Amino acid sequence: MATIAGVNLSTPSVFAKITDPKSKVQPSRSLWLNNPSRKRPAQFRTGRMHMQPLRAAPDRISEKVEQSIKSAEEACEGDPASGECAAAWDEVEELSAAASHARERKKDSDPLEAYCKDNPETDECRTYED
Amino acid sequence: MAISLNSPCSLYSPTKSHLGFFNNQRQLAVFYNKRSSSSSISSKQRGCLVITCSAGDSQTIVIGLAADSGCGKSTFMRRLTSVFGGAAEPPKGGNPDSNTLISDTTTVICLDDYHSLDRTGRKEKGVTALDPRANNFDLMYEQVKAMKDGVSVEKPIYNHVTGLLDPPELIKPPKILVIEGLHPMYDARVRELLDFSIYLDISNEVKFAWKIQRDMTERGHSLESIKASIEARKPDFDAYIDPQKQYADAVIEVLPTQLIPDDNEGKVLRVRLIMKEGVKHFSPVYLFDEGSTIEWIPCGRKLTCSYPGIKFSYGPDAYFGHEVSILEMDGKFDRLDELIYVESHLSNLSTKFYGEVTQQMLKHADFPGSNNGTGLFQTIVGLKIRDLYEQIITSKAAAPVEAKA
Repeated sequence: MATIAGVNLSTPSVFAKITDPKSKVQPSRSLWLNNPSRKRPAQFRTGRMHMQPLRAAPDRISEKVEQSIKSAEEACEGDPASGECAAAWDEVEELSAAASHARERKKDSDPLEAYCKDNPETDECRTYED
Repeated sequence: MAISLNSPCSLYSPTKSHLGFFNNQRQLAVFYNKRSSSSSISSKQRGCLVITCSAGDSQTIVIGLAADSGCGKSTFMRRLTSVFGGAAEPPKGGNPDSNTLISDTTTVICLDDYHSLDRTGRKEKGVTALDPRANNFDLMYEQVKAMKDGVSVEKPIYNHVTGLLDPPELIKPPKILVIEGLHPMYDARVRELLDFSIYLDISNEVKFAWKIQRDMTERGHSLESIKASIEARKPDFDAYIDPQKQYADAVIEVLPTQLIPDDNEGKVLRVRLIMKEGVKHFSPVYLFDEGSTIEWIPCGRKLTCSYPGIKFSYGPDAYFGHEVSILEMDGKFDRLDELIYVESHLSNLSTKFYGEVTQQMLKHADFPGSNNGTGLFQTIVGLKIRDLYEQIITSKAAAPVEAKA
């Protein structure tokens, strides 16, 4: 729970969840409801609520890739030339592509830069040019 | 909201004098008048007012990019949007799983959004996404045509994570519309709308090597599963996707290198840029002398290269019955001066200043392919597209005067 609290508050970015990949979305939401004095993460203020699911996306997608590989292997046991077999492996390919895009996006984004793009006036994001 | 006009409407006031009375005028565009066509023609005849146009730029040019999954379309897109300036990003405030990328001048649409069957639908019917039966070509044609005419569309979204078709998003017609996916050139009607088309042809060995690089870190994947996935999709790929390369104006073919015998790591690549001759507004890149056959190894006294070096060749050829020019590079760049040396010897690059290709390659040195022919040719094609766009714009601006005359 301590990790969830730590992750949730200081960095509003979705990618901060890296430290606690197994945690689900719901507990973090209720945590700041229970502590109304805490600053709400920026994504709720700016209405980017649907960013939340992406927190766990890489793992979710990874699990999906694993499952799809298993089901493709099963589907092809019967008839390797069938349409079902091809469709199953096509699904594996699609999910692998999605997983690699997600990994790339995760790699590229800097949580602070992402936050500051939307909130340049906050203390962390102010720039001074003298 | 936007109108499609029958008369061409220009948004540019070129400074060149041959356009007569458009010389001094800076048009400010945007009148919304349904009967604008006739009134704008009469005002042209009076010679004082420049054209009325809808807010959408009706000079949208459409570029098609075809390639199999995992073949570098996204990298190409990023390079292309960078040539035009600015970074392309997903639409702000919309569906986070949207496949669309928008920058100031360009909008990139992923054709997977026109799937007619979602993942479960395809599994039930036993078809892959490569199969035309899984795609709605009528909708694709309608919407691309609408955007080309300057009308915004509500485009569906195919969510790659969930495999479902999400509610549509609004796409405004951009200056340059890129449609990328598996089937941009499959349907004849859509093909007619394309101003330029590119096909990324990756050979099987290279595709296998790239997919291994991409997928080996994924839990669950193994060499066998990657191989099985490629094999299972191959029949549909060969039947539906591969034939599109005959229609492409430019094909980037990636093959294993010939410089290292028995190389199967795929680190050094042989890349061929196959450019169709006779395409309007597109003049192929050449080496030394257009139309002759050249083999060139730049490494020697002036330039030192490390193993395995670089080898270029250029020459005319025939490809699926058309005349083409093929520029080929085998090897990789290790240093900046190799790149600038090569650039200085290529002609017809459509650069705006000396060293632009090198500058673009360096800007994205972290992208895959930045040290070999894939990055080089993708950058060059990007510059060619920019040149094509500018030519089309100036020719459309000249058209009203000709029509009047």
